[in-house]
Amino acid sequence: MDPFRGWVSVVGVIEWLYLAVQATALALAAWFFVDTARSKEVGRANVVGVAVLEALLLAQLVTSIVLASGAAGDGKAMLFSYIVTALLVPVAALFWGSIDRSRWGIGTVALSCLIVAALMLRVHQIWEYQVNVVA
Amino acid sequence: MSSHDAAPEGRSLSAGFGRLVVLAYVVFAVSAGVRAGFQVATKFDHAPISYSLSALAALIYLVAAIAIVRGAAGVALAAVSIELAGVVGVGALSYMVRDWFPEASVWSHFGSGYGFVPLVLPVVGLVFLLRRRGSV
Repeated sequence: MDPFRGWVSVVGVIEWLYLAVQATALALAAWFFVDTARSKEVGRANVVGVAVLEALLLAQLVTSIVLASGAAGDGKAMLFSYIVTALLVPVAALFWGSIDRSRWGIGTVALSCLIVAALMLRVHQIWEYQVNVVA
Repeated sequence: MSSHDAAPEGRSLSAGFGRLVVLAYVVFAVSAGVRAGFQVATKFDHAPISYSLSALAALIYLVAAIAIVRGAAGVALAAVSIELAGVVGVGALSYMVRDWFPEASVWSHFGSGYGFVPLVLPVVGLVFLLRRRGSV
């Protein structure tokens, strides 16, 4: 039994997860830039926020692995490289930003969330035009 | 020594706002570089100028990022200046000689394929480097 029969449900799964990732990434970026303006250092709440984004991205990665195996397009390698990059960037920014004593520590994490949003925009394009295509 | 900031280990170029600049440059170096590498390897003949320029752009982003991390202000300034000249020059050229750019490169059309970030990035980098140089 293929649990993902019918393209409507397949696109549906990716679509709401994609929108959740985008909403979370943009909300975190806004929140962290406010923290930047207030000269806050990276704190526990920021780490929890990034963890939520990472959980959603992991879910996105797992779903994509499952769904892409049945898709016909040739953009799978690119799709995964973008998702994995999106997973790594906020974590790297969190480590690097938390050792900065200026306001730009959390600012770095804020920028990383914007980068995630941009990367996921590409993931969505690649999924639509280079992976989830009818052979 | 000026009075601002009391960072214990002295203020390095990649501290503070420099972190944002480095992060943006590294991400652009990686994404432009991987994409250009992929395009050069699979379909170089299709748009040789676009893909070569993308690879060159990626290399310059990488040089700028490494220079800022290592505190080489002169090298960073040179790389960022070349980058600004590149995006303005190639951007203008891509409108004048369309045949050379059947596919978009990072710098063609002033970086419109990347939300004009390639045009904004060198300006931000240049302002950052010049201000930091003035304050040391």
